[in-house]
Amino acid sequence: MQLNKTGLIFFPAFDWSISPTHPEREERLLYTRDQIFEEGIPDSSYIREYKPRLAAKEDIRRVHFCVPDVEDQTTEAHLISAGSALKLGDALMKNEIANGFVMARPPGHHAMRVVHGNRGFCNTNNEAILVEYLRRKYGLKRIAIVDTDVHHGDGTQDIFYHDPDVLCISLHQDGRTIFPGTGFVHETGGPGAYLKNINIPLPPGTGDEGFLRVWREIIKPVLNKFDPQLIINSAGQDNHFTDPLASMRVSAQAYGKLTEELQPDIAVLEGGYAIETALPYVNLAILLALAKQDYSKVIEPQFTPAAVKQDEGITLYIDDLIRYWQDALSEDVPSKEDLFGEGKVYQRKKSIYYDTDGIRENQQETVQYCPNCPGLYQVSSTARDQVGQGNSIWGLSIPLFACDKCLEKGYKMWEQAIKEGKEQKTFAYYYLQDKKNDNYLKE
Amino acid sequence: MYIGIDVGGTYTDGVLIDDSKVIRSVKIETEDNLSISIQQVLAKLLLNRGNKNISRVVLSTTLITNMLAGVKKPPVGMLLLPGPGINPQSQDFCSDYILLKGAVDYRGRVIEEIDFGEVDSAVRHFLDKGITSLVVACKFSQRNPSLENRIEHYIKERYPQVDVAPSNRTSGLLNWIRRANGTAFTLFVKNDYNQFVQRFEETITEYDIGCPVYILKADGATLPLEIARQYPLESIFSGPAASTFGALATTQQDITGIMLDIGGTTTDIGLILNGIPLMAERGIYVNGYLVPVRALALSSLALGGDSAITHKNGQLVIAQRKGKGCYLGGNSITFTDILVYLEKSKLSSHPKIELALQEISKNIGKTAENIAEEILNQFIARIDEKIEEMFLRWEEEPAYRIFQIISGQETRPQTIICLGGPAQSIGSILAQKRSWEVIVPQHAEIANAIGAALAKTTLKMDVLIDTEQGRYSTNLPGLSGTLSARLLSLDEAKTFALEIFKGKCAEWKLVTAGKELEDIEIVYEEGFNIVRNWQTKGKIFQIGLQIKPGLVNLLNEGTDAIE
Repeated sequence: MQLNKTGLIFFPAFDWSISPTHPEREERLLYTRDQIFEEGIPDSSYIREYKPRLAAKEDIRRVHFCVPDVEDQTTEAHLISAGSALKLGDALMKNEIANGFVMARPPGHHAMRVVHGNRGFCNTNNEAILVEYLRRKYGLKRIAIVDTDVHHGDGTQDIFYHDPDVLCISLHQDGRTIFPGTGFVHETGGPGAYLKNINIPLPPGTGDEGFLRVWREIIKPVLNKFDPQLIINSAGQDNHFTDPLASMRVSAQAYGKLTEELQPDIAVLEGGYAIETALPYVNLAILLALAKQDYSKVIEPQFTPAAVKQDEGITLYIDDLIRYWQDALSEDVPSKEDLFGEGKVYQRKKSIYYDTDGIRENQQETVQYCPNCPGLYQVSSTARDQVGQGNSIWGLSIPLFACDKCLEKGYKMWEQAIKEGKEQKTFAYYYLQDKKNDNYLKE
Repeated sequence: MYIGIDVGGTYTDGVLIDDSKVIRSVKIETEDNLSISIQQVLAKLLLNRGNKNISRVVLSTTLITNMLAGVKKPPVGMLLLPGPGINPQSQDFCSDYILLKGAVDYRGRVIEEIDFGEVDSAVRHFLDKGITSLVVACKFSQRNPSLENRIEHYIKERYPQVDVAPSNRTSGLLNWIRRANGTAFTLFVKNDYNQFVQRFEETITEYDIGCPVYILKADGATLPLEIARQYPLESIFSGPAASTFGALATTQQDITGIMLDIGGTTTDIGLILNGIPLMAERGIYVNGYLVPVRALALSSLALGGDSAITHKNGQLVIAQRKGKGCYLGGNSITFTDILVYLEKSKLSSHPKIELALQEISKNIGKTAENIAEEILNQFIARIDEKIEEMFLRWEEEPAYRIFQIISGQETRPQTIICLGGPAQSIGSILAQKRSWEVIVPQHAEIANAIGAALAKTTLKMDVLIDTEQGRYSTNLPGLSGTLSARLLSLDEAKTFALEIFKGKCAEWKLVTAGKELEDIEIVYEEGFNIVRNWQTKGKIFQIGLQIKPGLVNLLNEGTDAIE
């Protein structure tokens, strides 16, 4: 009916913060509110504003193993932030809107599959919750997530690392110079989802030119090849030249341009902590670009051409990076069987640090090879905070597109695991995530 | 005693209320000259009674609605200072404009200076076109009105022939398009409106009524006559507000229900939740343009008792009013005639109705009875659709705070309050369909005038205090300024906000001196830390205050017979 409209949920959570002076505090979207209201955005014929709603616990369990449970890791604000994404997802699928912008906080892209606490200001992953909701409810399969936050979208990467049907692309400031310290080019996805995870680590000081070039020369061709049914943009805004937590040189204009060319179906606000100098303008530019409106006059008062210009050396570095990816993407992809190797089992040990909550997590992932489906996923994880408190958990995930054999095998493993657990008490909690039947259990 | 007068498109109604009882009511046809209608109503209300003990007169009028009817583009020029943001060329301004340099940001900081050379050429451009009314609108002028005000002074000094108005004095609402359009419409109607107010004042003097006289606003609040002169736009669409408050006054003060007011040519549907009508907080449309007038959230349909029944390409159609209905001996078959024919109205039948229906019957090959049933169903379906739209609007009202979402979904009202001639039968049919309760208040036919007489004087103010910038601003016209004291806590900010609010209330004669605290409530209060480089640099406070809307008095059940 109103196919040309852009859906908007503006949820500034004026009554929620991590702490009163934390970057993720009540003030964060205050000036964005001022700008978009003063501009008359909610009145515009091309905008349809929606009221947020709460996500259900099932929506969270479809993605995360929350330790010990969903209510321990989420506040109402998290459920509303995720629920806002779901609401616009529904509006999109019902054809009420052409695309949408979830301008809500708290953010989510650092939240991984296992959640022991808050990392990078995130507890639950709004984009991942949206992807799994849309796939479950509307039968979608191939979805791409393009993360344009300055920090590596490590949570999103972790959740979909073994999912061949979700393409995760993250461009960000090089992990050697910024939280979370990951997001390198060799993190390309598990053996069953090889090259379905693309990282583009950019050197500090990258400006508009480099930002747009990697989009056009790396991301765009990968996206075209993948041919997603839906594109989600993790629209962090901390690549901005005034962001206090990062060192990039990107303007509102470049964010607008990228949005205009990427044409995401849903953009979800992530980070961005230059709450006065960047957010009111970048949010506006993204929203206007989504609505196919003129954003050319959205110029930050601090903007100068010099502020967004990158050094010669950076340009050369980015040239190399583009060449690297163009070569890597043109090579023949080995078969899944070969990638899994002799043992037909993929194992990975990982240590994860939760900066906000000061938790160290050690985990081991196991993915079993299956010729017919992405295969069963197991994780065992132990977390300890600064005073040595924490939980050990075990989780099993049956993929959405699991074959019947793996499904049956999964339940057998689950029963065996909880039986052993009762006897040996190896783990405090056991989780089963059966995405195929939307069944989530905890023991 | 209170007097309420509602000048509607077709009728002018008046009531005299004493001790919670309607002691006299008048209904006359509205004259072209509204002042004459008001005089006639007053004369009838006070006949043989005099002006003794009148303590309050409230007037609701369609004057502004009439003045703006069909005015797509008021002959006003706009000087716009957009600063960074959306390209103004893609936005809906109601008049021609010229873009100027000069900008203020969301904190009220001047980020670009005015170029007065540009101002001169813009003014001359409009003068050459014969336009002498100019609006100055700058983004964020409520946060800092200095750019708008400087341009205003500059123009006043150099171009005395120009009538110039800055948008900050129309409203402080965070929405510069609405402020600009609202200011343009205000400039356009201002002089004629002032003449009207002048005549009304003379009439009041003529009757030697010494009590306060108010104009009803679109949100059901009232403005003293002398203040109303400055804000003519505020009285637009006050008719439906009068009806809604009338519905409240004649039922219960805490009622929850759907208000259905079916008039001659239009139908208004509103929602009353626990005695408070649902508001369109941000404003309403005037001739397709949004203006910053706080009004009741209403769904309106161009359908009423006088709507004509016709057919087009073999289909039955409910069309615009064409003339007097058959039941009155007229020649137009109207919706009311259909109700009479179906014996769903208390009005007595007229042979012309049957004849008119037979005529349509011949043309489209359906029986008269089928035609009547079909029209009734059409009418009800369209109202039903609007009620659904109203519910969705209520349920989908954007929310920006957690508690608003958690407190969540309330159940839909299941009571329908019917006002106006055909409302009772339509309401009953709708209610039956959805198993609702129907209320037809006593005096339903003059509920509008009762609402005008009894609507409480209210005011809502949103204050934003920025301690780092040392400024405060509000949604009210012209009310912003610098802070003289450092406000460190939310409590101090609240005290400060309350003082400003009380000042405005006194100026607008809204509360009784000494009784302020009984009437004023704080709707929301928030404090934000301004943190830069890990240091708290100040605070921003957002505080909402209001005098609770409602009624001065409730009508007492078992009223005396109307004279």
